[in-house]
Amino acid sequence: MINVKNLKKSFGDNEVLKDISLHVSTQEVVVVIGPSGSGKSTFIRCLNMLEEVNGGQVLIDGKDLTDKKTNINEVRTDVGMVFQHFNLFPHKTILENITLAPMNVRGLKKAEAEEKARTLLAKVGLAEKAAAYPDSLSGGQKQRVAIARALAMEPKVMLFDEPTSALDPEMVGEVLEVMKQLAKDGMTMIVVTHEMGFAREVGDRVIFMDNGYIVEQNEPKALFDAPQHERTKSFLSKVL
Amino acid sequence: MDFRFDIVTDYMPFFLKGMGITIGVSLAGVLIGLILGLFIALGKMSSNRWIRLPFNIYINIFRGTPLLVQLLIIHFGVVPLFMSPSNPLVSLVIGLSLNAAAYIAEIFRAGIQSIDRGQMEAARSLGMTRVQAMKLVILPQAVKRVIPPLGNEFIVLLKESSLGSVLAAPELMYWGRAAAGQYIRVWEPYITVALIYLVLTLSLTYLMNYVERRLNTDDQR
Ligand SMILES: Nc1ncnc2c1ncn2[C@@H]1O[C@H](COP(=O)(O)OP(=O)(O)OP(=O)(O)O)[C@@H](O)[C@H]1O
Ligand SMILES: [Mg+2]
Repeated sequence: MINVKNLKKSFGDNEVLKDISLHVSTQEVVVVIGPSGSGKSTFIRCLNMLEEVNGGQVLIDGKDLTDKKTNINEVRTDVGMVFQHFNLFPHKTILENITLAPMNVRGLKKAEAEEKARTLLAKVGLAEKAAAYPDSLSGGQKQRVAIARALAMEPKVMLFDEPTSALDPEMVGEVLEVMKQLAKDGMTMIVVTHEMGFAREVGDRVIFMDNGYIVEQNEPKALFDAPQHERTKSFLSKVL
Repeated sequence: MDFRFDIVTDYMPFFLKGMGITIGVSLAGVLIGLILGLFIALGKMSSNRWIRLPFNIYINIFRGTPLLVQLLIIHFGVVPLFMSPSNPLVSLVIGLSLNAAAYIAEIFRAGIQSIDRGQMEAARSLGMTRVQAMKLVILPQAVKRVIPPLGNEFIVLLKESSLGSVLAAPELMYWGRAAAGQYIRVWEPYITVALIYLVLTLSLTYLMNYVERRLNTDDQR
Protein backbone atom coordinates (compact mmCIF):
# COMPACT_ATOMS: atom_id res chain seq x y z
CA MET A 1 0.00 0.00 0.00
CA ILE A 2 2.73 2.44 1.01
CA ASN A 3 6.25 1.99 -0.22
CA VAL A 4 8.95 4.46 0.68
CA LYS A 5 12.36 4.05 -0.89
CA ASN A 6 15.48 5.92 0.22
CA LEU A 7 13.55 9.05 1.09
CA LYS A 8 15.64 12.17 1.69
CA LYS A 9 14.50 15.58 2.85
CA SER A 10 16.43 18.70 3.82
CA PHE A 11 15.45 22.16 4.98
CA GLY A 12 18.34 24.22 3.67
CA ASP A 13 21.52 22.60 5.03
CA ASN A 14 19.54 20.77 7.70
CA GLU A 15 19.15 17.19 6.48
CA VAL A 16 16.10 16.03 8.38
CA LEU A 17 15.37 12.69 6.66
CA LYS A 18 18.56 10.94 5.67
CA ASP A 19 17.59 7.63 4.15
CA ILE A 20 14.18 6.27 5.00
CA SER A 21 12.77 3.11 3.49
CA LEU A 22 9.53 1.60 4.66
CA HIS A 23 6.86 -0.73 3.39
CA VAL A 24 3.38 -0.64 4.86
CA SER A 25 0.84 -3.29 3.87
CA THR A 26 -2.90 -2.85 3.49
CA GLN A 27 -4.71 -2.79 6.86
CA GLU A 28 -1.46 -2.48 8.74
CA VAL A 29 -1.18 -0.01 11.63
CA VAL A 30 2.31 1.43 11.93
CA VAL A 31 3.18 3.60 14.92
CA VAL A 32 6.10 6.00 14.65
CA ILE A 33 7.89 7.08 17.81
CA GLY A 34 11.07 9.03 18.45
CA PRO A 35 12.51 12.07 20.20
CA SER A 36 11.49 15.62 19.32
CA GLY A 37 13.14 16.86 16.15
CA SER A 38 13.91 13.37 14.88
CA GLY A 39 11.89 14.01 11.70
CA LYS A 40 8.63 12.16 12.45
CA SER A 41 6.36 14.98 11.31
CA THR A 42 8.49 15.69 8.28
CA PHE A 43 8.36 12.03 7.32
CA ILE A 44 4.60 11.68 7.60
CA ARG A 45 4.10 14.98 5.72
CA CYS A 46 6.23 13.63 2.88
CA LEU A 47 3.74 10.79 2.47
CA ASN A 48 1.18 13.18 0.98
CA MET A 49 3.67 15.73 -0.36
CA LEU A 50 2.89 18.47 2.12
CA GLU A 51 6.68 18.61 2.08
CA GLU A 52 8.58 18.39 -1.17
CA VAL A 53 11.12 15.59 -1.01
CA ASN A 54 14.73 15.89 -2.13
CA GLY A 55 15.40 12.29 -3.06
CA GLY A 56 14.00 8.78 -3.15
CA GLN A 57 10.49 7.62 -3.92
CA VAL A 58 7.13 7.52 -2.21
CA LEU A 59 4.65 5.08 -3.72
CA ILE A 60 1.05 5.02 -2.54
CA ASP A 61 -1.10 2.29 -3.99
CA GLY A 62 1.41 1.98 -6.83
CA LYS A 63 1.45 5.69 -7.70
CA ASP A 64 4.82 7.42 -7.40
CA LEU A 65 4.27 10.78 -5.69
CA THR A 66 7.74 11.99 -6.58
CA ASP A 67 6.95 11.59 -10.28
CA LYS A 68 6.08 14.98 -11.77
CA LYS A 69 3.41 13.37 -13.93
CA THR A 70 1.44 12.05 -10.96
CA ASN A 71 -1.66 14.09 -10.15
CA ILE A 72 -0.91 14.87 -6.54
CA ASN A 73 -4.42 16.14 -5.75
CA GLU A 74 -5.87 12.84 -6.85
CA VAL A 75 -3.45 10.85 -4.69
CA ARG A 76 -4.23 13.07 -1.71
CA THR A 77 -7.91 12.12 -1.89
CA ASP A 78 -6.76 8.60 -1.03
CA VAL A 79 -4.56 9.73 1.87
CA GLY A 80 -6.37 11.17 4.86
CA MET A 81 -4.41 13.32 7.27
CA VAL A 82 -5.10 14.29 10.86
CA PHE A 83 -3.05 17.11 12.34
CA GLN A 84 -1.91 17.84 15.86
CA HIS A 85 -3.80 21.15 15.84
CA PHE A 86 -6.94 19.82 14.09
CA ASN A 87 -7.00 22.56 11.45
CA LEU A 88 -10.77 22.58 11.20
CA PHE A 89 -12.22 25.33 9.02
CA PRO A 90 -13.50 27.89 11.57
CA HIS A 91 -15.87 29.62 9.14
CA LYS A 92 -17.78 26.42 8.40
CA THR A 93 -20.11 24.37 10.55
CA ILE A 94 -19.06 20.89 11.59
CA LEU A 95 -21.24 19.40 8.87
CA GLU A 96 -19.82 21.79 6.25
CA ASN A 97 -16.28 20.98 7.38
CA ILE A 98 -16.97 17.37 6.50
CA THR A 99 -18.92 17.90 3.27
CA LEU A 100 -16.67 20.59 1.76
CA ALA A 101 -14.11 18.33 0.11
CA PRO A 102 -16.47 15.51 -0.92
CA MET A 103 -18.69 18.06 -2.69
CA ASN A 104 -15.94 20.13 -4.29
CA VAL A 105 -13.32 17.48 -4.96
CA ARG A 106 -15.31 14.28 -5.40
CA GLY A 107 -18.30 16.07 -6.90
CA LEU A 108 -20.85 14.58 -4.53
CA LYS A 109 -24.34 16.08 -4.38
CA LYS A 110 -25.09 18.07 -1.25
CA ALA A 111 -27.70 15.65 0.07
CA GLU A 112 -25.45 12.70 -0.53
CA ALA A 113 -22.46 14.36 1.12
CA GLU A 114 -24.51 15.42 4.12
CA GLU A 115 -25.94 11.99 4.64
CA LYS A 116 -22.47 10.52 4.63
CA ALA A 117 -21.21 13.25 6.95
CA ARG A 118 -23.96 12.52 9.45
CA THR A 119 -23.13 8.84 9.39
CA LEU A 120 -19.49 9.65 10.08
CA LEU A 121 -20.39 12.11 12.83
CA ALA A 122 -22.48 9.43 14.48
CA LYS A 123 -19.55 7.07 14.22
CA VAL A 124 -17.24 9.47 16.07
CA GLY A 125 -20.01 10.18 18.58
CA LEU A 126 -20.79 13.75 17.58
CA ALA A 127 -24.09 13.48 15.70
CA GLU A 128 -25.62 16.31 17.73
CA LYS A 129 -22.83 18.76 16.79
CA ALA A 130 -23.56 18.91 13.05
CA ALA A 131 -24.76 22.53 13.10
CA ALA A 132 -22.17 23.82 15.59
CA TYR A 133 -19.04 25.75 14.69
CA PRO A 134 -15.56 24.42 15.54
CA ASP A 135 -14.87 27.11 18.15
CA SER A 136 -17.67 25.77 20.33
CA LEU A 137 -16.12 22.30 20.53
CA SER A 138 -13.60 20.89 22.99
CA GLY A 139 -10.22 19.75 21.71
CA GLY A 140 -11.18 16.10 21.77
CA GLN A 141 -14.37 16.81 19.87
CA LYS A 142 -12.49 18.89 17.30
CA GLN A 143 -10.05 16.08 16.67
CA ARG A 144 -12.86 13.58 16.23
CA VAL A 145 -14.45 15.90 13.68
CA ALA A 146 -11.09 16.18 11.93
CA ILE A 147 -10.96 12.40 11.70
CA ALA A 148 -14.49 12.29 10.30
CA ARG A 149 -13.57 15.01 7.80
CA ALA A 150 -10.64 12.95 6.55
CA LEU A 151 -12.72 9.77 6.40
CA ALA A 152 -15.39 11.49 4.31
CA MET A 153 -13.03 11.27 1.34
CA GLU A 154 -12.95 7.49 1.78
CA PRO A 155 -9.16 7.37 1.93
CA LYS A 156 -7.20 4.17 1.59
CA VAL A 157 -4.64 5.32 4.14
CA MET A 158 -4.85 7.55 7.19
CA LEU A 159 -1.92 9.55 8.51
CA PHE A 160 -1.96 10.88 12.07
CA ASP A 161 0.64 13.38 13.29
CA GLU A 162 0.47 13.44 17.09
CA PRO A 163 -3.34 13.58 17.10
CA THR A 164 -3.58 13.73 20.90
CA SER A 165 -0.59 15.92 21.79
CA ALA A 166 -2.55 19.17 21.87
CA LEU A 167 -5.34 17.72 24.02
CA ASP A 168 -6.06 17.95 27.72
CA PRO A 169 -5.30 14.55 29.27
CA GLU A 170 -8.95 13.73 29.93
CA MET A 171 -9.74 14.04 26.21
CA VAL A 172 -6.99 11.81 24.89
CA GLY A 173 -8.99 8.64 25.48
CA GLU A 174 -11.98 9.57 23.34
CA VAL A 175 -9.76 10.27 20.32
CA LEU A 176 -7.69 7.12 20.75
CA GLU A 177 -10.93 5.16 21.01
CA VAL A 178 -12.04 6.41 17.60
CA MET A 179 -8.65 5.54 16.13
CA LYS A 180 -8.75 2.10 17.67
CA GLN A 181 -12.14 1.47 16.08
CA LEU A 182 -10.77 2.66 12.76
CA ALA A 183 -7.90 0.19 13.01
CA LYS A 184 -10.36 -2.57 13.83
CA ASP A 185 -12.36 -1.68 10.72
CA GLY A 186 -9.25 -2.42 8.70
CA MET A 187 -7.91 1.05 7.88
CA THR A 188 -4.27 1.27 6.89
CA MET A 189 -2.76 3.75 9.33
CA ILE A 190 0.51 5.49 10.10
CA VAL A 191 0.42 7.16 13.49
CA VAL A 192 3.04 9.44 15.01
CA THR A 193 2.35 9.47 18.73
CA HIS A 194 3.75 9.53 22.24
CA GLU A 195 0.94 7.29 23.46
CA MET A 196 2.88 4.11 24.11
CA GLY A 197 -0.20 2.32 25.41
CA PHE A 198 -1.93 2.90 22.08
CA ALA A 199 1.17 1.75 20.18
CA ARG A 200 1.29 -1.44 22.19
CA GLU A 201 -2.38 -2.23 21.93
CA VAL A 202 -3.26 -1.16 18.39
CA GLY A 203 0.02 -1.10 16.48
CA ASP A 204 1.06 -3.97 14.25
CA ARG A 205 4.52 -2.52 14.10
CA VAL A 206 6.39 0.24 15.91
CA ILE A 207 9.08 2.29 14.25
CA PHE A 208 11.67 4.15 16.26
CA MET A 209 13.07 7.17 14.43
CA ASP A 210 16.06 9.19 15.51
CA ASN A 211 18.09 11.83 13.77
CA GLY A 212 16.56 11.25 10.34
CA TYR A 213 16.90 7.47 10.28
CA ILE A 214 14.68 4.54 11.18
CA VAL A 215 16.83 3.10 13.93
CA GLU A 216 14.75 0.10 14.79
CA GLN A 217 11.37 -1.45 14.02
CA ASN A 218 9.54 -4.42 15.37
CA GLU A 219 6.26 -5.70 16.75
CA PRO A 220 5.24 -3.50 19.67
CA LYS A 221 5.82 -6.09 22.33
CA ALA A 222 9.27 -6.98 21.07
CA LEU A 223 10.32 -3.37 20.58
CA PHE A 224 9.11 -2.16 23.97
CA ASP A 225 10.21 -5.18 25.99
CA ALA A 226 13.47 -5.99 24.26
CA PRO A 227 14.84 -3.03 22.31
CA GLN A 228 18.01 -3.85 20.39
CA HIS A 229 19.68 -0.47 19.98
CA GLU A 230 21.16 1.76 22.66
CA ARG A 231 19.29 4.79 21.35
CA THR A 232 15.97 2.97 21.47
CA LYS A 233 16.69 1.83 25.00
CA SER A 234 17.56 5.28 26.25
CA PHE A 235 14.52 6.82 24.53
CA LEU A 236 12.14 4.21 25.93
CA SER A 237 13.61 4.50 29.40
CA LYS A 238 12.66 8.20 29.32
CA VAL A 239 9.10 7.82 28.05
CA LEU A 240 7.86 4.55 29.52
CA MET B 1 -14.63 88.53 8.96
CA ASP B 2 -17.70 88.61 6.80
CA PHE B 3 -18.69 85.19 5.56
CA ARG B 4 -20.61 85.48 2.29
CA PHE B 5 -23.23 82.74 2.43
CA ASP B 6 -24.51 83.82 -0.98
CA ILE B 7 -21.39 82.33 -2.55
CA VAL B 8 -22.11 79.03 -0.85
CA THR B 9 -25.73 79.00 -1.93
CA ASP B 10 -24.91 80.14 -5.47
CA TYR B 11 -22.44 77.34 -5.92
CA MET B 12 -24.29 74.68 -3.97
CA PRO B 13 -25.73 72.94 -7.07
CA PHE B 14 -22.20 72.60 -8.45
CA PHE B 15 -20.81 71.41 -5.13
CA LEU B 16 -23.52 68.75 -4.96
CA LYS B 17 -22.88 67.68 -8.53
CA GLY B 18 -19.16 67.55 -7.72
CA MET B 19 -19.87 65.53 -4.62
CA GLY B 20 -21.75 63.00 -6.71
CA ILE B 21 -18.79 62.69 -9.03
CA THR B 22 -16.36 62.43 -6.11
CA ILE B 23 -18.40 59.56 -4.70
CA GLY B 24 -18.69 57.98 -8.14
CA VAL B 25 -14.99 58.06 -9.03
CA SER B 26 -13.95 56.89 -5.54
CA LEU B 27 -16.40 54.02 -5.67
CA ALA B 28 -15.25 53.05 -9.17
CA GLY B 29 -11.63 53.32 -8.02
CA VAL B 30 -12.19 51.06 -5.04
CA LEU B 31 -14.20 48.49 -6.98
CA ILE B 32 -11.71 48.22 -9.84
CA GLY B 33 -8.90 48.39 -7.27
CA LEU B 34 -10.42 45.45 -5.39
CA ILE B 35 -10.46 43.22 -8.46
CA LEU B 36 -6.98 44.23 -9.63
CA GLY B 37 -5.68 44.15 -6.07
CA LEU B 38 -6.80 40.57 -5.46
CA PHE B 39 -5.17 39.52 -8.70
CA ILE B 40 -1.93 41.32 -7.82
CA ALA B 41 -1.91 39.93 -4.28
CA LEU B 42 -2.25 36.36 -5.58
CA GLY B 43 0.49 37.04 -8.13
CA LYS B 44 2.78 38.43 -5.49
CA MET B 45 2.31 35.27 -3.43
CA SER B 46 3.29 32.96 -6.26
CA SER B 47 5.96 30.45 -5.38
CA ASN B 48 7.74 31.36 -8.61
CA ARG B 49 10.01 34.38 -8.16
CA TRP B 50 9.76 35.35 -11.85
CA ILE B 51 5.99 35.53 -11.60
CA ARG B 52 6.29 37.52 -8.35
CA LEU B 53 8.68 40.04 -9.88
CA PRO B 54 6.30 42.08 -12.08
CA PHE B 55 3.72 42.28 -9.28
CA ASN B 56 6.38 43.49 -6.88
CA ILE B 57 7.51 46.12 -9.34
CA TYR B 58 3.93 47.28 -9.85
CA ILE B 59 3.29 47.63 -6.13
CA ASN B 60 6.56 49.46 -5.52
CA ILE B 61 5.99 51.93 -8.35
CA PHE B 62 2.43 52.81 -7.41
CA ARG B 63 3.10 53.04 -3.69
CA GLY B 64 6.44 54.73 -4.11
CA THR B 65 5.47 57.68 -6.31
CA PRO B 66 2.98 60.51 -5.65
CA LEU B 67 -0.54 59.96 -6.92
CA LEU B 68 -0.44 63.45 -8.45
CA VAL B 69 2.50 62.45 -10.64
CA GLN B 70 0.74 59.23 -11.62
CA LEU B 71 -2.41 61.15 -12.55
CA LEU B 72 -0.51 63.66 -14.69
CA ILE B 73 1.35 60.91 -16.54
CA ILE B 74 -1.84 58.95 -17.09
CA HIS B 75 -3.91 61.93 -18.19
CA PHE B 76 -1.40 63.68 -20.43
CA GLY B 77 0.73 60.70 -21.46
CA VAL B 78 -1.10 57.39 -21.43
CA VAL B 79 -4.79 58.09 -21.99
CA PRO B 80 -4.18 60.26 -25.12
CA LEU B 81 -2.73 57.13 -26.75
CA PHE B 82 -6.19 55.59 -26.64
CA MET B 83 -8.58 58.51 -26.76
CA SER B 84 -8.46 62.06 -27.98
CA PRO B 85 -9.16 64.38 -26.44
CA SER B 86 -8.55 62.51 -23.21
CA ASN B 87 -11.41 62.70 -20.74
CA PRO B 88 -10.25 63.82 -17.28
CA LEU B 89 -12.86 61.65 -15.52
CA VAL B 90 -11.61 58.58 -17.33
CA SER B 91 -8.02 59.46 -16.43
CA LEU B 92 -8.98 60.06 -12.81
CA VAL B 93 -10.76 56.72 -12.46
CA ILE B 94 -7.84 54.90 -14.10
CA GLY B 95 -5.31 56.63 -11.86
CA LEU B 96 -7.28 56.04 -8.66
CA SER B 97 -7.92 52.39 -9.58
CA LEU B 98 -4.32 51.58 -10.40
CA ASN B 99 -3.06 53.36 -7.31
CA ALA B 100 -5.66 51.76 -5.01
CA ALA B 101 -4.91 48.34 -6.52
CA ALA B 102 -1.34 48.52 -5.21
CA TYR B 103 -2.45 49.34 -1.66
CA ILE B 104 -5.35 46.90 -1.74
CA ALA B 105 -3.04 44.13 -2.99
CA GLU B 106 -0.89 44.59 0.10
CA ILE B 107 -3.99 44.58 2.31
CA PHE B 108 -5.16 41.32 0.73
CA ARG B 109 -1.72 39.76 0.98
CA ALA B 110 -1.43 40.59 4.67
CA GLY B 111 -4.96 39.25 5.25
CA ILE B 112 -4.33 36.00 3.41
CA GLN B 113 -0.98 35.44 5.08
CA SER B 114 -2.51 36.04 8.49
CA ILE B 115 -4.55 32.84 8.06
CA ASP B 116 -2.88 29.90 9.78
CA ARG B 117 -0.77 27.76 7.45
CA GLY B 118 -2.56 24.67 8.74
CA GLN B 119 -5.73 25.78 6.96
CA MET B 120 -4.11 25.52 3.55
CA GLU B 121 -2.47 22.23 4.51
CA ALA B 122 -5.74 20.72 5.71
CA ALA B 123 -7.50 21.79 2.52
CA ARG B 124 -4.73 20.43 0.30
CA SER B 125 -4.54 17.18 2.26
CA LEU B 126 -8.21 16.64 1.38
CA GLY B 127 -7.33 16.81 -2.30
CA MET B 128 -8.33 20.42 -3.02
CA THR B 129 -6.30 22.28 -5.60
CA ARG B 130 -4.55 25.50 -4.57
CA VAL B 131 -7.29 27.50 -6.24
CA GLN B 132 -10.08 25.57 -4.50
CA ALA B 133 -8.34 25.93 -1.14
CA MET B 134 -8.00 29.68 -1.68
CA LYS B 135 -11.60 30.10 -2.77
CA LEU B 136 -13.28 27.82 -0.24
CA VAL B 137 -11.06 28.06 2.82
CA ILE B 138 -8.56 30.91 2.85
CA LEU B 139 -10.34 33.87 1.22
CA PRO B 140 -13.60 33.55 3.17
CA GLN B 141 -11.57 33.79 6.38
CA ALA B 142 -9.32 36.55 5.08
CA VAL B 143 -12.28 38.74 4.05
CA LYS B 144 -13.15 39.54 7.65
CA ARG B 145 -9.62 40.61 8.45
CA VAL B 146 -9.29 42.90 5.43
CA ILE B 147 -12.55 44.82 5.90
CA PRO B 148 -11.14 47.42 8.35
CA PRO B 149 -8.01 48.28 6.33
CA LEU B 150 -10.08 48.33 3.14
CA GLY B 151 -12.39 50.86 4.77
CA ASN B 152 -9.39 53.04 5.52
CA GLU B 153 -8.20 52.74 1.95
CA PHE B 154 -11.61 53.83 0.69
CA ILE B 155 -11.47 56.95 2.89
CA VAL B 156 -7.95 57.76 1.71
CA LEU B 157 -9.05 57.33 -1.90
CA LEU B 158 -12.06 59.57 -1.45
CA LYS B 159 -9.86 62.38 -0.19
CA GLU B 160 -7.20 61.83 -2.82
CA SER B 161 -9.77 62.01 -5.60
CA SER B 162 -9.56 65.80 -4.98
CA LEU B 163 -6.36 65.69 -7.02
CA GLY B 164 -8.66 65.22 -10.00
CA SER B 165 -9.19 69.01 -9.89
CA VAL B 166 -5.70 69.37 -11.36
CA LEU B 167 -6.90 67.46 -14.42
CA ALA B 168 -10.08 69.58 -14.51
CA ALA B 169 -12.18 66.57 -13.65
CA PRO B 170 -15.43 68.13 -12.38
CA GLU B 171 -15.37 66.58 -8.91
CA LEU B 172 -15.95 68.38 -5.64
CA MET B 173 -12.56 70.06 -5.30
CA TYR B 174 -12.72 71.29 -8.89
CA TRP B 175 -15.89 73.25 -8.11
CA GLY B 176 -14.30 74.57 -4.94
CA ARG B 177 -11.43 75.96 -6.95
CA ALA B 178 -13.83 77.27 -9.60
CA ALA B 179 -15.80 79.18 -6.97
CA ALA B 180 -12.61 80.50 -5.39
CA GLY B 181 -11.45 81.76 -8.78
CA GLN B 182 -14.72 83.34 -9.73
CA TYR B 183 -15.28 85.27 -6.50
CA ILE B 184 -11.62 85.69 -5.58
CA ARG B 185 -12.52 84.36 -2.10
CA VAL B 186 -10.78 81.73 -0.05
CA TRP B 187 -12.85 80.90 3.00
CA GLU B 188 -16.36 80.33 1.66
CA PRO B 189 -15.63 77.82 -1.12
CA TYR B 190 -12.83 75.91 0.61
CA ILE B 191 -14.54 75.65 3.99
CA THR B 192 -17.71 74.43 2.28
CA VAL B 193 -15.80 71.86 0.25
CA ALA B 194 -13.88 70.74 3.33
CA LEU B 195 -17.12 70.28 5.26
CA ILE B 196 -18.61 68.18 2.46
CA TYR B 197 -15.51 65.94 2.43
CA LEU B 198 -15.74 65.64 6.19
CA VAL B 199 -19.40 64.57 6.01
CA LEU B 200 -18.49 61.97 3.39
CA THR B 201 -15.53 60.49 5.29
CA LEU B 202 -17.34 60.49 8.65
CA SER B 203 -20.33 58.73 7.07
CA LEU B 204 -17.96 56.17 5.64
CA THR B 205 -16.32 55.67 9.03
CA TYR B 206 -19.69 55.01 10.62
CA LEU B 207 -20.65 52.67 7.82
CA MET B 208 -17.41 50.71 8.23
CA ASN B 209 -17.86 50.47 12.00
CA TYR B 210 -21.36 49.15 11.43
CA VAL B 211 -20.15 46.53 8.94
CA GLU B 212 -17.38 45.46 11.32
CA ARG B 213 -19.80 45.08 14.19
CA ARG B 214 -22.15 43.04 12.01
CA LEU B 215 -19.32 40.75 10.94
CA ASN B 216 -18.27 40.27 14.55
CA THR B 217 -21.72 39.39 15.83
CA ASP B 218 -22.26 37.08 12.86
CA ASP B 219 -19.14 35.43 14.04
CA GLN B 220 -19.92 34.07 17.47
CA ARG B 221 -18.41 30.85 16.30
N1 LIG C 1 9.33 24.00 7.57
C1 LIG C 1 10.56 23.78 8.12
N2 LIG C 1 11.59 24.59 7.82
C2 LIG C 1 12.81 24.37 8.36
N3 LIG C 1 13.09 23.39 9.21
C3 LIG C 1 12.10 22.55 9.56
C4 LIG C 1 10.78 22.70 9.04
N4 LIG C 1 10.01 21.73 9.55
C5 LIG C 1 10.81 21.00 10.35
N5 LIG C 1 12.06 21.47 10.36
C6 LIG C 1 13.19 20.92 11.11
O1 LIG C 1 13.26 19.55 10.84
C7 LIG C 1 13.61 18.83 12.00
C8 LIG C 1 12.62 17.72 12.23
O2 LIG C 1 11.37 18.29 12.52
P1 LIG C 1 10.06 17.43 12.72
O3 LIG C 1 8.97 18.38 12.97
O4 LIG C 1 9.90 16.51 11.58
O5 LIG C 1 10.40 16.61 14.02
P2 LIG C 1 9.44 15.72 14.90
O6 LIG C 1 10.11 14.40 15.03
O7 LIG C 1 8.08 15.75 14.36
O8 LIG C 1 9.49 16.44 16.32
P3 LIG C 1 8.31 16.68 17.37
O9 LIG C 1 8.20 15.44 18.20
O10 LIG C 1 8.82 17.84 18.17
O11 LIG C 1 7.08 16.99 16.62
C9 LIG C 1 13.73 19.83 13.12
O12 LIG C 1 15.11 20.11 13.30
C10 LIG C 1 13.01 21.03 12.61
O13 LIG C 1 13.60 22.20 13.10
MG1 LIG D 1 6.18 16.54 14.99
